Amino acid sequence: MKKSFYISLVGLLFIFGFTTLQTADNCDKKALTASCKKKLEPFKYDSQKFTKINFTKKPQQLEVEVPIFIGEKYRLVFNTSGLPKGIKINIFTKDKEVKKREAIFSNKDAKDSEKELVFDAPRSRKMYVDYDVPADSTNAKLTGCMIFMVGYK
Amino acid sequence: MFLKKKNFTLKFVLFFATSLFFAACGSDTAKEENITTAAVDTVEAPVESQEISYSLPSPLQIASIFKKSGLKYKGGVTSSFKDATKYTTNINKAINLGVYSADLSYAVLNKQNQEAMTYMKLSRQLSDNLGMGSVFDQGNLANRFEKNISNEDSLAYIIAELQMVTDMYLDENDQQQITSIVFSGAWVESMNIASKVYEKGKDKALNNKLAEQMTILESIINALKAEEKKDAGITGLIADMVSIKQIYDALPSVKNNPNASEDTEVELSLTDDEVSSLTKKIEEIREKFIKG
Repeated sequence: MKKSFYISLVGLLFIFGFTTLQTADNCDKKALTASCKKKLEPFKYDSQKFTKINFTKKPQQLEVEVPIFIGEKYRLVFNTSGLPKGIKINIFTKDKEVKKREAIFSNKDAKDSEKELVFDAPRSRKMYVDYDVPADSTNAKLTGCMIFMVGYK
Repeated sequence: MFLKKKNFTLKFVLFFATSLFFAACGSDTAKEENITTAAVDTVEAPVESQEISYSLPSPLQIASIFKKSGLKYKGGVTSSFKDATKYTTNINKAINLGVYSADLSYAVLNKQNQEAMTYMKLSRQLSDNLGMGSVFDQGNLANRFEKNISNEDSLAYIIAELQMVTDMYLDENDQQQITSIVFSGAWVESMNIASKVYEKGKDKALNNKLAEQMTILESIINALKAEEKKDAGITGLIADMVSIKQIYDALPSVKNNPNASEDTEVELSLTDDEVSSLTKKIEEIREKFIKG
């Protein structure tokens, strides 16, 4: 009887863990930072930006402005492994209010398995990192986080 | 009786486990049912555009840009107000942590070891007062700084690492406003140092870099505005930064080159009088910052 009780308890804990994993996001900021830092070399760390992403029934566009300086060399490292599903990443030199703008970087050709993306920026005054988050109507309340790290030399 | 009780417990555990299992699987079924709807929504729903956010550079990068443009070391231009305990409000602590960060970067890049040690200790004190002193212990940063005091390159990497762990700490604790406040203090201090050194040598490259730095002031102001609700003191800080921008925007060289802040091929130069009026305003704000 005691044995059956413990087997049931283990089963219960297993299922509880399984359901918890289904809803939690994978945003381990320390691990994501460490991973980006490795890819940043030989550029020196400058800044990083975490963006929490809540998938909703409507597609969303989030934009991060990154001021940079002419004459400096910059590298941006993205890590998407904190997201439950893919998003589109584009970088522009003009903000989203400007109708005609061309992306200087896009992850549209990246494979799903590519979680880390590296971009060496051209000469510019500012960069605008855009996240195009697709709609999610599954009521699963999916959440996650994006990180990019900026380095210079 | 005892057996009946155990049986009941076992049944309860099994019932609960089974319910949870089916609940988990049930949500998958629900997901599958909704996928068809999701496809329709994706096509028809308009894109929700969120507020823009900002990723500001580090004080070390600003100091490094000025250094590369030929900024020489000049004694007495960094903060002489070396009593970190005087700052009582969080905003003044954060602003002056920025001031000390800029002074630390300037000292390190110019091999002023003793001064670098002093500003490192002051930065630690202010970080402790802000409740984030633990960042100095991560990766043994404080000790590594002392051990490498005579190696400029190593110190620069240690400061960059300190910036990284600080950024992560503030993000994990939902205190991103501190990042913007610290950078505001650091930027004003860096501009004050550079303009003081410019007064002496009138170096053209330094003049260009002073003008270039002004292009990020709008981003700093907007980053502060985005965090304004988190600290009542941010409103006053925004007003200080705006007052610098107003002086700059009114300069004839700036008015005559409206695209200078966007065109990568234009390097704006200011006249000596224009640099003087900008320097005067920056000095005024910087004095206000360090007095607390």
